[in-house]
Amino acid sequence: MLGHASSSFRVPAAIVAGAILFGLGGVLPGYLASDFTLKLANEGLLLGLLALSVAFLMSEAGLVALGAASIYGGSGYLFAIAMSEWGMSPGAAIVFAFLAVVAYGAVLGALIVRTNPLAFMMLTLAAGEMIRHVVMLEAVHDYTGGADGLVVSFKGAILGMQAADFANPQHFWPIGWTAVWLIGVTLWSVSRSRLGATLRAVRQNEERMRFSGFNTYVPRVVAYILVNAVAAVSGLLHVLNAGFVSPESLGLGVSTNALVAALMGGTAGSVGPLAGGLIFAFAQDEFGARGATQLLTGAAIVLFIVVFPRGVVGGLVAAVRRVLPGIDRPRGKT
Amino acid sequence: MIALLIANSLALASLLIMLASGLALIYGLRDVINFGHGALYMLGAYLGYTVAKVTGFWLALLIVPILLALVGIVLEFLVLRPLKSRSHIEVALVTLGLGIILGQIIIFIYGGEARSIDAPAILSGSVTVLGLSYPVYRVFLILMGLGSCVSLAVWLRFTSSGLFVRAVSQDPGVARMMGINSDQLSLLVTSLSAAFAGIAGVLAGPYLSIDPGMDIVMIVDCLIIVVIGGTGSIAGAIIAALLFGFVQVAGSVFLPNVAALVPYVLLMIVLLIAPGGIGRGRVLN
Repeated sequence: MLGHASSSFRVPAAIVAGAILFGLGGVLPGYLASDFTLKLANEGLLLGLLALSVAFLMSEAGLVALGAASIYGGSGYLFAIAMSEWGMSPGAAIVFAFLAVVAYGAVLGALIVRTNPLAFMMLTLAAGEMIRHVVMLEAVHDYTGGADGLVVSFKGAILGMQAADFANPQHFWPIGWTAVWLIGVTLWSVSRSRLGATLRAVRQNEERMRFSGFNTYVPRVVAYILVNAVAAVSGLLHVLNAGFVSPESLGLGVSTNALVAALMGGTAGSVGPLAGGLIFAFAQDEFGARGATQLLTGAAIVLFIVVFPRGVVGGLVAAVRRVLPGIDRPRGKT
Repeated sequence: MIALLIANSLALASLLIMLASGLALIYGLRDVINFGHGALYMLGAYLGYTVAKVTGFWLALLIVPILLALVGIVLEFLVLRPLKSRSHIEVALVTLGLGIILGQIIIFIYGGEARSIDAPAILSGSVTVLGLSYPVYRVFLILMGLGSCVSLAVWLRFTSSGLFVRAVSQDPGVARMMGINSDQLSLLVTSLSAAFAGIAGVLAGPYLSIDPGMDIVMIVDCLIIVVIGGTGSIAGAIIAALLFGFVQVAGSVFLPNVAALVPYVLLMIVLLIAPGGIGRGRVLN
């Protein structure tokens, strides 16, 4: 998407087109869309980020993480607790929450990426449920608020923005949009780097890579840490935007929503999962009104894996290629 | 005190054995973990609730497993067989999605509040063994768990279909070359594993509560057990279920504040020592 450019002429063209798209997308919705639509779109962006973290691990390392919510919700809880209980400034609390969650992800990853992909999937589910139980423990009720969750209001500013600014959909949109672009481009470059190539090779045949002298363990741990960092950014932006954290943000529901968003958009590349997040947010608004969000999630998992394994974006790209052969081929000519 | 603790953990482990060994059986044949197993257990519990109201507990214990076996057959023909050529991760995700759908349909029909059924008269009350008074229903649970262990072992050990199941679990390729039809076996194993989930669901009724979250709780517990036991190892799953039941019960007695975390600590310890689990599964090559 971001230019499978092959000639030297098309690289700047892709960058210019990307910059224009980025600029327009950051500014226009603020004028065109209603507050309600923007609010949904903001949620969609953040879900898209979480989906991107799930999708990156799926498409590059062949690992499905069902514990994304524990990172997403956990960073929000730590941010809130660091300010209310330990008196940190908002900026320090964000950095602390981010680092603490990523450190947790590193330890967990070091432990569980050694297992096979199926066991990895089960273990991430178990670890996610563990975090949800920790938050609900009676002993930490004063910190986490138990089932009620926590209201997060901070004094002072982060990067010149007050709590009220983050809660305003119009002001939040450019932040989310920028974060999505930065992370999308970063992950896209990682997948084209040596690390991405190694990950895909390990995914296809771990044994052969090991025999060929590659370290198959460290790249997967690094990838796991990377996607957890993305999930933490998504969680922190979410808590800034929503102004509260609840145990639901740690639940299996959030993890499966992210998975569905990734499958909907298509797990390959950065655009698919992000688009999937937006699609899911608007679909959820439609179905959620009838209390059928979970049903939507379950049905979407089955539908997209069985019938549309490439997702909406992947499917569209394939359809365009079929209609207009010769346009923007990813491989082939050099 | 210790005797009571062991008895309680055996009662819990009985349910877990029925569910986790079903998971391990399907994994052994198809290399797929059925993430919808918790929903099958939940379906068993709610069907048990409805059927027991009409026919009483004993008939429910007979009818519900048969119904669930039919669900297992549907699962085999509509999901596992058509998706045979897809990656195992994808099939596992499909079972996760189907489990969510099934759970939601059950909640849609029965509503969100918890239900309970009473044990039949002969199993209510308590019995005194060696000076200890103990609920009869839990004794019954332990006997059922023991019974299913023994019948599983006899089946796997002494019948030809059991031999074939073991052969496919050990080496699918060679087993197929020897003329074993793994599709037919899979049909048997999937329906059997669903039927066991049904039995566990009915048995859970008078023992635990029947509520909308029961599928998630159970599938997470079972996944932990399957990983601890070594994925695909049935003996490992049984031992892990016993271990799990014990730390769960002991945790709630000695460490009531953090009891919910004890199983996860167990999981982490086992993973640190033996990443492949305690049994001889096929989790790590």
